[in-house]
Amino acid sequence: MDYSKLDKVRQTTTPLQLDVVESFARGRLSRREFIQRGAIVGLSMGAIGAVIAACGGSTASAAPGTAAPGSAAPGKTGGTIRVAAQKPSGPLDPILMQDLGSYGTTALSFEFLCTSDATEPLVTLAPGLATKWTPDATGAVWTFDLRQGVKWQDGTDFTSADVVATMERLVESGNSGLKGILEPGGAVAADANTVTFNLARANGNFPYLVSTFNAQTLITPVDYPTTTTLDGKPNGTGAWKLVNYNAQTGATFERNDAWWGGATPLDAVELIYFDATGPMVTAYQGGQVDYIIQFDVLSGASLLNDPNFTSVALKAALHRQIWMRTDTGQFTDKRVRQALALTFNRPELIQQLFQGKADIGNDHVIAPVYPYFDSSIPQREQDIEMAKQLLADANATGLTATLHCGQILEIPDLATLLKSQASQAGITLNVEVESLNTFYGAQWCPAEPKDPPCSGAAELGIVDYGHRATPDVYLNSALSTKGVWNSSQYSSDAFDEAFKEFQTAVGVDAQKAACNKIETVLLDDTAISVPYFYNFLTGYSNKFTGAYSSGLGQIFLGSASQV
Amino acid sequence: MARFIGRRLLLALVTLWLLATIVFVIANVLPNDIGRTILGPFAPQESVDALNEKLGTNRPILVQYVDSMIGIVTLDYGDSYVTGRPVLPQLFEAIGRSAKLAGLALLITIPLAIVAGLFAARRRDKPADRAIVLLGVTSSSIPEFVTGTILVVVIGVHFGLLPVLATPPADSDILTQIRYLLMPATAMAIVYFGYIARMTRAGTIDVLQSDYARTATMKGLTTSQMMRHHVLRNALIPTVAVIAVQIGYLFGGIIAVEKIFNYNGMGQTMLFAAQQKDIPMLTAGAIVIGIVYMLATLASDMTIAWMNPRIRLDAER
Repeated sequence: MDYSKLDKVRQTTTPLQLDVVESFARGRLSRREFIQRGAIVGLSMGAIGAVIAACGGSTASAAPGTAAPGSAAPGKTGGTIRVAAQKPSGPLDPILMQDLGSYGTTALSFEFLCTSDATEPLVTLAPGLATKWTPDATGAVWTFDLRQGVKWQDGTDFTSADVVATMERLVESGNSGLKGILEPGGAVAADANTVTFNLARANGNFPYLVSTFNAQTLITPVDYPTTTTLDGKPNGTGAWKLVNYNAQTGATFERNDAWWGGATPLDAVELIYFDATGPMVTAYQGGQVDYIIQFDVLSGASLLNDPNFTSVALKAALHRQIWMRTDTGQFTDKRVRQALALTFNRPELIQQLFQGKADIGNDHVIAPVYPYFDSSIPQREQDIEMAKQLLADANATGLTATLHCGQILEIPDLATLLKSQASQAGITLNVEVESLNTFYGAQWCPAEPKDPPCSGAAELGIVDYGHRATPDVYLNSALSTKGVWNSSQYSSDAFDEAFKEFQTAVGVDAQKAACNKIETVLLDDTAISVPYFYNFLTGYSNKFTGAYSSGLGQIFLGSASQV
Repeated sequence: MARFIGRRLLLALVTLWLLATIVFVIANVLPNDIGRTILGPFAPQESVDALNEKLGTNRPILVQYVDSMIGIVTLDYGDSYVTGRPVLPQLFEAIGRSAKLAGLALLITIPLAIVAGLFAARRRDKPADRAIVLLGVTSSSIPEFVTGTILVVVIGVHFGLLPVLATPPADSDILTQIRYLLMPATAMAIVYFGYIARMTRAGTIDVLQSDYARTATMKGLTTSQMMRHHVLRNALIPTVAVIAVQIGYLFGGIIAVEKIFNYNGMGQTMLFAAQQKDIPMLTAGAIVIGIVYMLATLASDMTIAWMNPRIRLDAER
């Protein structure tokens, strides 16, 4: 340990940053966790590198992206990359867009304050339009230093007024990530290059809410009112200028020569829109696309073994929740819920459904990819005898129930496997696979009755959840009392308290302590079962290098080039 | 003939009005908050209400219906809920793409199938006839998506002879466009070959057995003279009717083929509109497909009337 180096960093940090530095120095954070947490609380790249070096680690590739998102990619200049992307299902309005296709298209021209780091794009932040962000001691006031010399594609200067105007539009539109955290007037321009966010309450994860992980927070110009679309009024600070757009077929972008990150090696980007993964895979195999933003093991199995294709499996929080109604029906006794969860052979599920490309789940939503995941909580494993005993204790031997699920990706196969595994404990599950509209509208969270939300849900079902850089949405919407997606109608004071503690926690120890409580309560109550967290799969032809994606449809090609 | 066309056009207008009404009823009978669908589950209710007000989806259903009918007559189909742009230009793009695909598929199918049908009829019950009948039954029994997938895997991926996506690059020349469309068009042609060939064969056999065909043979006409002057015109009447229906069907969009080849014709456009509850696009799309059906049927009726004057006279009576 080089204390002189460490002290130099200590002297320049805020209390929150100091907490992260100390946690790493004392071994409570791994190097990876330190980089993630350090980026969140705004430690500079130099400071992160210096702390790692002071603690005896290598600084090689330690710090998240610096000058421009993405690592420098030695390669040829020129050429076009053809990207297989999901088709947008709405207008390219940066404020109101709701789908991955729109996220990916708009993020080629517009940029975030904080972007995804090239090395760990699903969880770690890197500087975007903000070069530095610093919280106060309470975590309720965050100051963002903006990148200077940035220009909009129409030639005007990017300033703090653009950031403030964007935030006002987001608050006004009810942005789900910022709701309850940022209120009207909460973002203030301290000067042309600094914005201060006065939050409604402390939030240790605030930079995530103005990053790729809150996809609508792309910074747009002052005169870019809500409902303005990228294709209607092309602009941006990003590396790519929209040349043409067809909502049905695709979009073409050309290099933005005035980009702050310098000249991109590639000349152009061609997005080709698809409705499903299968045609994306055949398009790659037929040599008509170079990059697939996201694919799944089922339809993209051939890509995983293709020597000409670089497939990237990133640990993620993507998961399925098997909900069990806690307020009515056959699963009100938690012993019955635990019994069903005990029949699941999780390693077998992971192997059969994902060829091993997933992390095991422990019936809570704190994924192993999160820095505050507590691995000390015992893992629930298949135990048929225990399941039978619990069912007998609850007078539920010979339980028969209908397991509802939608026709999407691996879920019908998961339902079939669960049925088979549950039968070992004498549980009969009748699998009902339905169209997505029917499933979401009639089984998962019917619109009626409205209060409490989802109180018309089926007693048992499987629902899909996408990746989030923090678990707030899962905890708030699916599990907190009267949560908007709470199909199990779970209501627990202990959980609600732990969640509140997590949200307001700003230090590493406090967040870990809150997560320990959350994991413990959820595992015991088993309102939901989470058998796995599967990897985010993306990939590209070996002819290209330097490209990466965020897990939310965005793709970063500023440093991409042909090999 | 003018009276005949006039009557058919009048009938077509009534059918279109019925079609528009049915689409409107189906689209509105489902409980659905359009503003909420567009803005998503997290948007505040005020924004949802404001959007519904702007779109006019909060007005009484009868008012909406009358507006919708006026819009159809005045060719104002409104803006897409999804893209926020007028629906007609988008639909014309899609129908244009479908027309290219359907046109190429028909161009491949019709001559081949008619020649095969005539050839088989002339050699009734001989090995060549049985082979063509068997080929026709087999090809029309295999769904387009199976043929399409096999073509993609073998021709596109394994041999790399043709592109696996059907959408050609912007501004490509006609030959490039044909190259991109050849595989999906072939997948469709394989299916329709069977229908048309069998129909042609059956019609030709029927005519060849007729008294006037026999008389023509007995008065010493050569086979080719008889085929040209007496058989073809009568034998192809049912074939023309089948082709007309197929044209409407092909323009309406073969969703499976369009999906396999990622081609955004009418099929994918309409499916996407239905999934997104894009009612203006759905309504306009149904009308446009209806018009194509009407025109194809009208053209077929006129062709049949030209080929067989008795039909024309019946209609005029």
